[in-house]
Amino acid sequence: MVEDSQARSEQPTVGGRMSPWRLFWIWMAIGGQSFGGGSATLYLIRREAVERHGWLTDDDFTRYWGICQIAPGINILGLVALIGWRIAGAAGALLSLSGLLLPSAAITVGLTSIYAGIRDEPIVRSALAGVVPATVGLGFLLAFTMVRPLLNSARRDGRAGTFVAVVLLLMSTTLAALTRIPVLAILWGAGALSAMAQWQLVPRQRLKR
Amino acid sequence: MSHHLELFWIMLRAALFSTTGTGNLPIVHQDLLSRGWATDRQFAESLAIGQISPGPTGLWVISLGYFVGGLRGAALTLVAITLPPLLVLVLVHGLYRRWGHRPVIQGFVRGLGLAVAGVFVIVLSGIMNTAGWNPANLMIAVGGIVLGAMRRVPVLVVLVLAAIVGIALF
Repeated sequence: MVEDSQARSEQPTVGGRMSPWRLFWIWMAIGGQSFGGGSATLYLIRREAVERHGWLTDDDFTRYWGICQIAPGINILGLVALIGWRIAGAAGALLSLSGLLLPSAAITVGLTSIYAGIRDEPIVRSALAGVVPATVGLGFLLAFTMVRPLLNSARRDGRAGTFVAVVLLLMSTTLAALTRIPVLAILWGAGALSAMAQWQLVPRQRLKR
Repeated sequence: MSHHLELFWIMLRAALFSTTGTGNLPIVHQDLLSRGWATDRQFAESLAIGQISPGPTGLWVISLGYFVGGLRGAALTLVAITLPPLLVLVLVHGLYRRWGHRPVIQGFVRGLGLAVAGVFVIVLSGIMNTAGWNPANLMIAVGGIVLGAMRRVPVLVVLVLAAIVGIALF
């Protein structure tokens, strides 16, 4: 299946008639309107790419999104690059990415500079005093939504898999709280330990059956 | 100038070794705070601005880049966070097709995700330490969790409500 989509993406024919400006404009519109964070952006991309322009099927969209989960950096930017590549190769990826980022990055910078000018006004300070704890709350929720699918997939690997996952979670939290070990070392260490555990656990389960 | 190049390198490295828009937060937090280039308050402000502005939430670091290095800092940060996701093209056209189903790769990705979440919680607690764990702040944080968990309320509305509560209380 992946090979199939690869073959298609190497000969970009979807949306082949579309002019570069039109493509750029569609992504600009997504980048400029998607207020409400990543899920709003993803929703708009899916609506435009799958439903309105038929650049890819629902299936391909889901598979691309899955692959983007393990790619470095902002997943949505990877997804946009993949879709753009599929429409018009390297030029399509570049146009799509810059189209999406131009308005959203400009608005982000604009809001920041406005904010930097008024941040010491008393009313802004007290508004922010309310916003900070709310951001922390939303962040805790985000951490929870990151952990839940990982623990679920660990549970599918049996009791040992769940045990390893819980230990890694507690260990990395404790190390970050109590030591000054570089964060990168904690992340890579947890990844390596989990890879070794998985290598040990999965073949054994197959043997049992 | 070297200050800006170093900022670019910090942002690039953090994006390379993390996934999702906020996975880079623990690394960036450690790198910038240890140099004294940013404060916990600026992290909280950037995260809030990233939530309010359109596009991926991950653009919050552009706001942080602006605080640290002005317009040039923001532009360099934008370039730094755009490059790593392009590796997904390599992943799709080569590595993932061959290796993605291997338990070792899946295990690595899982461990990485768990550790990111674990460190993330500690960073958030640090921001809360700066703000203070008093009843009012706790109430607002719990309110944010509840409204956010309902999924129906846009993040923008949650933050505006929090700002109004802040103006009323503080």
